[in-house]
Amino acid sequence: MSAGHDDHGSGGLDLTLHIWRQESSEAQGRFETYPLHDVSPDMSFLEMLDVLNEQLVREGREPVEFDHDCREGICGSCGVMINGQAHGPDRETATCQLHMRRFKSGETIFIEPFRARAFPVLRDLVVDRSAFDRIMSKGGFVSVNTGAARDANSILIPKENADLAMDAAACIGCGACVAACPNAAAMLFVGAKISHLGLLPQGRPERSRRVLAMVAQMDAEGFGNCGNIYECEAACPKAISVENIARLNRDYLIASATERPPTASGGGA
Amino acid sequence: MMSRCQVFLRSSIGKKLLMALTGLFLIGFLVAHLAGNLTLFVDADGGAMAVYAQKLADLGPLLWIAEVGLFVLFVVHLGLGMRAAMENREARPARYKDTAPKGGRSPASVTMIATGVVILLFLIVHLIDFRLVDGLFAHPEPATLAKVVVERLSSPLGAAIYFFGMVALGVHLWHAFQSALQTLGLRHPAYDKSIKCVGAVLAVGVAGLFAAFPVLCLIYKGDWPWS
Ligand code: HEM
Ligand code: FES
Repeated sequence: MSAGHDDHGSGGLDLTLHIWRQESSEAQGRFETYPLHDVSPDMSFLEMLDVLNEQLVREGREPVEFDHDCREGICGSCGVMINGQAHGPDRETATCQLHMRRFKSGETIFIEPFRARAFPVLRDLVVDRSAFDRIMSKGGFVSVNTGAARDANSILIPKENADLAMDAAACIGCGACVAACPNAAAMLFVGAKISHLGLLPQGRPERSRRVLAMVAQMDAEGFGNCGNIYECEAACPKAISVENIARLNRDYLIASATERPPTASGGGA
Repeated sequence: MMSRCQVFLRSSIGKKLLMALTGLFLIGFLVAHLAGNLTLFVDADGGAMAVYAQKLADLGPLLWIAEVGLFVLFVVHLGLGMRAAMENREARPARYKDTAPKGGRSPASVTMIATGVVILLFLIVHLIDFRLVDGLFAHPEPATLAKVVVERLSSPLGAAIYFFGMVALGVHLWHAFQSALQTLGLRHPAYDKSIKCVGAVLAVGVAGLFAAFPVLCLIYKGDWPWS
């Protein structure tokens, strides 16, 4: 590479980071400011935080806690608010896949945890998203025995349904929908889950029971009400459509009217 | 044990569904109300409006039932709206330092409670102005109603209240129609665009025609150049 082609020597970015620091759920949090020099534009956002943490450890200070696992946009564990946007400025991009070339040298970046009553901060940028797990445990699965694996195509699924179900199944449960929603509602997450299961034949028998139980748990967790503002769809790293929220509304109404509790005697004579 | 109806109405989705239904009925009322107002564009002396108001008065007990029904629609809608707004605040106790939208929101969609409260305040003034002139239990006199209306709207303060009340209504409706259909689960890529279009025409058309009246009154004081 030819030398001296720009004004910050190695081509790195000089950044001022304002990062939310909070010792525990109960502690009072605050922003702390960290200058960071010569950040490679090729780094991912999480690698940039790794570099910061190495620097903090060298200086004998506490590193910034943040969640991450796969770092390839499929596990859903990363996710922070970057300058007021869930997962940062890019569409359809999880924090781990955001790159520093998206930022300019001299820029100030505010990094905050996802905020919602149902997602308490555990430490720094790490929040407790087990509310999603509890919603899933109420019906986000297929519990009927579907037998051994069958020949492909022995259960016919219309192509359109398969496509819609697969689009919904792309949800990685990161919580960006809740974080970005002005009302901290979880409707896009729940809508994606009831869609991906309910649209497929294996998930259909439990469709009504599932939607009733999952919505009851969603409400109990203290998420807000959907206002059809659609920030969730815009913030979703997988671009899950708000059509899934319409399906959730529809399924919930129908299930409320038609679901029958199992009878003691069962069916038959 | 809560009945299944209770469970439904206490759920976030059930409450929103009730808001959507009451909201759509209120839109229906607005369209009927607007049709009545258009009589004043015909002649500000109130001949046409008196005929219309007399027809309403002739409904007798039906008019009372309609008024009570309308009142219930409003109370349910705004009660649930305020409650939802409070719950939504509680759902995010710690605010963000700063939020930058990624493109989903519109100025109308994030101000529903604000425009709703302005509409409510407007309604109180509006009812005192034109509905309660002869008390709660008597309907205003059809023959003189137009005169009262034109007089009120010809003053700068009156015109301003009615104009800005209708601006708030227009902003509320801009989000309301498509939002209500989404809440009812009526969404499909094939008619997404049409729904948005109908909502926009409703918002601009209804609020615009309502708002035109105080503007014209302020300018012409009921002395229409075309009649
Ligand atoms: C003529 C008057 C009104 C009409 C036609 C109307 C219509 C509507 C409609 C159709 C919706 C959409 C419902 C949905 O999102 O599913 C809505 C939402 C809403 N309305 Fe009204 N409304 C009126 C007056 C009011 C008043 C007086 C208030 C409160 C003081 C109010 C507060 C709200 C709120 C807060 C929402 C949003 C609810 C949410 O998204 O969570 N509205 N309105
Ligand atoms: S770390 Fe797995 S999605 Fe970002």
